[in-house]
Amino acid sequence: MVGIGFRKDFAEEMLQSNIIQPAFIEVAPENWIGVGGFWKKQFRQALEQYPLYTHGLSLSVGSPDQLDFQFLKKIKDFLSQTNARLYSEHLSYAKCDNAHLYDLLPIPFTYDAVRHVAEKIRTVQEVLERKISIEIVSYYSPVAPEMTEIEFINSILSEVNCDLLLDVNNVYVNAFNHQYDSKNFIASLPMDRVSYIHMAGHHQVSESLVIDTHGEAIIDPVFDLFDFTMRRLKRDVPVLLERDFNIPVLEELHQEMTRLNEIKLDALKPMPYVPA
Amino acid sequence: MFLLKKTHHSQSALANYCRTGILEDIPGIKSENIGHYRRLVFNIVNDMLQSAFPLSHKLLKNRKWQSLTHEFFSTHACQSPQVWYMPKEFYQYLEQRRPEILTDYPVLLELLWFEWLEIEMFMMEDREIDYSNSGNVDCDVLVLNPELHFQHFEYPVHLKEAVKITAADKGAYFLCVHRVPESGEVIFTDLSAGFVRLLELLSDSPQTLPDLMTRLCTELQIDQTTEIKNRCLDFIQTAIESRLIIGFNKN
Repeated sequence: MVGIGFRKDFAEEMLQSNIIQPAFIEVAPENWIGVGGFWKKQFRQALEQYPLYTHGLSLSVGSPDQLDFQFLKKIKDFLSQTNARLYSEHLSYAKCDNAHLYDLLPIPFTYDAVRHVAEKIRTVQEVLERKISIEIVSYYSPVAPEMTEIEFINSILSEVNCDLLLDVNNVYVNAFNHQYDSKNFIASLPMDRVSYIHMAGHHQVSESLVIDTHGEAIIDPVFDLFDFTMRRLKRDVPVLLERDFNIPVLEELHQEMTRLNEIKLDALKPMPYVPA
Repeated sequence: MFLLKKTHHSQSALANYCRTGILEDIPGIKSENIGHYRRLVFNIVNDMLQSAFPLSHKLLKNRKWQSLTHEFFSTHACQSPQVWYMPKEFYQYLEQRRPEILTDYPVLLELLWFEWLEIEMFMMEDREIDYSNSGNVDCDVLVLNPELHFQHFEYPVHLKEAVKITAADKGAYFLCVHRVPESGEVIFTDLSAGFVRLLELLSDSPQTLPDLMTRLCTELQIDQTTEIKNRCLDFIQTAIESRLIIGFNKN
């Protein structure tokens, strides 16, 4: 199934037309907690039509700061009230020294950070009473690394029993920016832990740097990497099309979602029996 | 618990660089790329503030606005995990710190609050209340819209373009802001002090128009003349039409 990030920019049009018919929608709880009035009505209408997946922005599991338990309780209530099927967060930090930064900063790939982040994910799962999916984020610079990115991610997955949100575009972006092979990277991940896939576009700002913008259409090499991922995965998982900026007409989003679905179906179709 | 000081320090240094632009020596970074973090973080903050406060941005013009938002973000530790709530922290920061720019732009603080009020009223959680749409305005108990806020300004930021407001405009301006339940639209209503008091009495408890007028006139020590009755009736009817008064008591 292929879903879409539910954006206020196109909420009304999406709900009142059949141009896109996602299998599910995804929201950031931060954008909807404590919201009433017009948007609450729109959101309720969307929940009547689509299953909900959620993707947090501010929990900051990679932060040196303590978890914000008051906020975590609000997330828990939100997930319960909306009957959310899944909650995911970023493997990054967005808060430090008691100040929110509202963006995703890279965690140092260090041994102590592995244990620190794993412990925080474990606590989040205990409070929420559910397994969460953790997303590999795009990054533009390593910070004080003691190991590689893949070692860091796999170490965390070994330490804590959470799921993995595999953002295929992020892997492409990171492979480009840090000059590694994206397919080797994906092949090195424990695919049995992948519970959710994100797909998005990006923007190349220089010969050596790509920024993960969610503001462009998905490019062919990222579709190819998605195909590779699905063939490695060998099973169906929900796939989300993210488009947060520079939002095109819904017909274009529909085309992207259709292509994702086709790639997935093709990758997962049973191999024809070939007699020996 | 598990995090070593050196890792914490690297994380703090990157976060601090994003907020202030002061880059400490962080091991292992790609110095040619690190600036993108500061740019991306500040873009989010500035975009959010600019879209929340378009009138204030227009009043200050871009250079002063940028300087103010940079100062805010580098000095203030944003507390809300919800970015859409951050503009309120910007207002509160200026209210507490009283930077010099408020002397040059005495109207700025009220303008920011006026703009924030619209967001807060539009976004706030629903306040459910029991009421009936049908009733007789002359004798039934009136119910005030619970999604309502009374406001007093020294400058007419809700009536006049901010750049045209001068010291001569300084005075006492009363208004109320309410949200229309059906559409979510936010409406600002300019009010006389008398009608503010009338609505305040109604917000204390639902009551009939005759009871309201009696209380108001007693409090203000004025006679309940036909003219006052007619003006109150007109006001209440308009308030019902605009959904400032949401309806009538069910009982």
